[in-house]
Amino acid sequence: MLVLHQVHKTFSTPQGELPVLNGIDLTLDQGESLALMGESGSGKSTLLHLAAGLDVPDQGHISIEGQRLSSLDEPARARLRRQHLGLVFQQFHLVPSLNVIDNLRLQARLAQREDAEWTAHLLARLGLAGREGYFPEQLSGGQQQRLAIGRALAVRPSLLLADEPTGNLDEQSADTVLALLLELVAETRCALLMVTHSARVAAPLDRLVRLHLGRLEDSHP
Amino acid sequence: MIWRVLVTLLAHYRRHPGQLAMLLLGLWVASALWSSVQAVNATAKDSYARANALFSAEVDQLTRRDGQPLTREDYLTLRRAGLPVSPMLEGTLEVGEVRLTLIGIDPLTLPNDNALGGDGAALTAFLTPPWQTQLAPETLDILGLSRREAPGATPDVNGRHQLPPLALRPDLPPDTLVMDIAAAAELLESGNTLTQLVTAPEALSAPPDGYRLSRAATLASPEQLTDSFHLNLTALALLSLVVGLFIVQAALGLAMEQRLTTLRTLRALGVPATTLILAILLELLVFGVLGAALGLASGIWLAGQLLPDVATTLSSLYQADVQRSLVLPWHYWLGSLAITLGGLLLAGSGVLWRAARLNVLALGQSQAWRRGYQRQLTRMSQGGVAAAVIALGLVLWLGRLPPGQGVMASFGFVAALLLGSALFLPPLINAVLRLLQRLLHRRPLAHWAVADSQLQLPRLSLAMMALLIALATNLGVSSMVGGFRLTFLDWLDQRLAAPLYINAESSTLAPMLDWLEAQPEITETLPTARGDVDLLAVDSKGGEDTTRERIALFGITPSPTITNRWPLLDTQEGRSAAWAALSAGSVFINEQMAVAKQLAPGDTLTLDTPQGATRFTIAAVYPDYGNPRQQIVVPTEALVQRFGGEIASIGLVATEGAERQALRQALVDRFDVAPDALVDQQEIKRLATQIFERTFTITRALNGLTLGVAALALFATLLAQARERQRQLASLWALGVPRNTLTQLPLYQLGGLALLTGVVAIPLGIAITWTLVAIINVAAFGWRLPLYLFPWDIFITLLTAVGVALAAAALPSLQLWRSSPQAMLNKGAA
Repeated sequence: MLVLHQVHKTFSTPQGELPVLNGIDLTLDQGESLALMGESGSGKSTLLHLAAGLDVPDQGHISIEGQRLSSLDEPARARLRRQHLGLVFQQFHLVPSLNVIDNLRLQARLAQREDAEWTAHLLARLGLAGREGYFPEQLSGGQQQRLAIGRALAVRPSLLLADEPTGNLDEQSADTVLALLLELVAETRCALLMVTHSARVAAPLDRLVRLHLGRLEDSHP
Repeated sequence: MIWRVLVTLLAHYRRHPGQLAMLLLGLWVASALWSSVQAVNATAKDSYARANALFSAEVDQLTRRDGQPLTREDYLTLRRAGLPVSPMLEGTLEVGEVRLTLIGIDPLTLPNDNALGGDGAALTAFLTPPWQTQLAPETLDILGLSRREAPGATPDVNGRHQLPPLALRPDLPPDTLVMDIAAAAELLESGNTLTQLVTAPEALSAPPDGYRLSRAATLASPEQLTDSFHLNLTALALLSLVVGLFIVQAALGLAMEQRLTTLRTLRALGVPATTLILAILLELLVFGVLGAALGLASGIWLAGQLLPDVATTLSSLYQADVQRSLVLPWHYWLGSLAITLGGLLLAGSGVLWRAARLNVLALGQSQAWRRGYQRQLTRMSQGGVAAAVIALGLVLWLGRLPPGQGVMASFGFVAALLLGSALFLPPLINAVLRLLQRLLHRRPLAHWAVADSQLQLPRLSLAMMALLIALATNLGVSSMVGGFRLTFLDWLDQRLAAPLYINAESSTLAPMLDWLEAQPEITETLPTARGDVDLLAVDSKGGEDTTRERIALFGITPSPTITNRWPLLDTQEGRSAAWAALSAGSVFINEQMAVAKQLAPGDTLTLDTPQGATRFTIAAVYPDYGNPRQQIVVPTEALVQRFGGEIASIGLVATEGAERQALRQALVDRFDVAPDALVDQQEIKRLATQIFERTFTITRALNGLTLGVAALALFATLLAQARERQRQLASLWALGVPRNTLTQLPLYQLGGLALLTGVVAIPLGIAITWTLVAIINVAAFGWRLPLYLFPWDIFITLLTAVGVALAAAALPSLQLWRSSPQAMLNKGAA
């Protein structure tokens, strides 16, 4: 499903070159879930962005469903993203101008893969049924993140990338959101790569890797 | 404490310098355009005041009934009869390309408390050789002298004349020289002739035998004539001020929204509401003074650029002389500052109101913005309805007024129309977007774009309102000017019927006429004549009114060359009957006179002819663009014989093979006229068209600048919200929308909104054109123009709307294109 091979990434800063990823090798199979942990600034989000095709590595290659991202131009990477990937951010990144239902089916519609039945099912599973006409500003933090998860899964992606999806939530909301996320991932049988700081959040996932000094250290939960 | 609060509030702009720049930009442009027009108006008013102070409009004047020029003998005869008259001599001296007006007076007999000439030693210097030339400091430039060199200097004029020693008089009009009548007679080589005999107003109860008396009250001053022109300028400047204040309000609103948390924190920390409001007021004052200073400096520069064209316009339209250098009295500075500060307070009143009603316990600044904006839209619609009702009331009232009246009400109508339309615009855009949202439900990106446009509407609406006002005014004014140009050129073609014209002194033209008629290559001579007459009474449908008013007379030759082309607006029984009536003793009047006196063909005028009071029937009304005064047309022959008029020019129709150069040379040799006395019709048209184009230079400049300000308002608004926009677009990018598409989206969104605004601007612009040609022009100039619509101008309006929007959206789009979406996502997280 997702393969990262000898991926290197360096950023230029006013203080000079800053190597962030230093030969990353990682494989994630369909239906598998992986937690990526590490200290702040260790490059977790960079790795996630590279895996999503939001950025390109300096060296090495990344493949999703057998397609090398380096062989794709920007529009093709964008197409791959909207059709096969789901992204969940810590800050939700919902579209404030669209209501709940339009936010939920936005990506599926962009990918021309809307499934009304699945959308309705998701809406119920997210606990947002009856709030279709609400706008993001009218929802609580937990509801907004559930909606963001639903939006990512509405397209039935093969790979879900989540960047600290519970980082902005209180403990109780975080637990609810995480449980829902894992249930839906299992239901859709997509692979999950989740960046998190929290060992508690990482615990239910199949595998855990730590990023340290730009390299991955495998550690099973 | 207030200083600490102020410093805390101002710290916001350190983090958001763009908003500060937008605020100052708004104040700057608003103040600059307003103060530039006020500088032009103040200078013109100063010139009029000086001209009035001279004497022309404040004295009664005597002329001979037989139409002969006044002489020194007339003066002596009247003085011997004990009448308090004073002689005046007026002529021109050409210095390079500039004509200086030379006025000779006798200060001892001059009426009123005129200080010309002075008293004591100054009076002696004025009255006795080598005499004295009094002039305003502004005139020195023409003579090539500095202020320091001027006193006592005796400059040569064109190597022919030496002026008496100069003495500066700042209260004199520019381009005017005043001296003792004896010195003036020598310089003008006028011999025994006088140009005027004047008396104090009402000093004579009746004219002496053989003379006509024109009362001061019937001589319009330049200030009266040009009032409407300056009102037009002020209205345009006010429009620019309002558009600039839109930017200010947008900037203040944005800063307020972003500082709500700070304000709540300050309140929570124990700052009283009054202190907070005072601090905001103080902040506004600081910005206001800064903006006004910037605006004044640029306004004065702009006025300096516009003044020469305005002066030319006023001179060609109203014969009103305006100096070429700015005069800025103290009240100009104070007024400009007050207008800027007042406008800022008005624009900031919303911010102050929100600060006063601040809820310390409110949690989030963006909470319920949607509901809040819906309320605002409802209020806007209600305001729009109120403005529309006012506009309707005014237009109904204007419909009941006689033509040529209601300038202020017309401007009120245009203002209410603009305000109403501007207030209706955001609700209209909102409704269209809601409809589009429904229609585009199956196209997610378009659906998003429409929904996102709706989200941007609260911030964009002010800029869109400014754009609407600027576009509508632009279309309205350009259609008026375009229509005027067509009408004017057509009129010029009809009026200039003869292919050649001779302009020379009347005394030369009379014998020349006989000679020309004897020339075989001249097939027709069409002399025109000028004179004036006292109007004693008018008899119209409204009843008979008696008056005593000096009216200009113009003589034309009613031969087929003229009668087939001369334009007529209104006749009693058709063109042929009107011309037959003119030849039989009726008169034509110009449109200005018909409007001012409510006259129509069939009405009668009683004129004070040398043969006594005589009634004349009005046979037709003719258009007379460019003439500020009322005028009566009679046949040339009648004007010379019955009214003592003088030949003013001769139109010539020559045979095909006639040699113009030979004719010109013959005229120079035989009649000692200048070589340019014979003018081609095309040359006159070219000059007239040139003057016409200059007339509207300031209108076009102000119009263009207003549109520029509206574009700036849009640009500044987009820049101010660019960061938030990037976050929205970055989310879409993360969902798989290509960056190319993302970069184009804002262009489509804004282009669409601007196009809608442009569509609304079209009927609004047409309404403004109608008001200008049918009401304001009639009141300002005395003539009505046909309403012309130019599809090309309308297309250009739409194109301008979209162009302005795309230009304003280009930079934020470029920023988007150049920044990494990943960084934008991270910015959103910050």
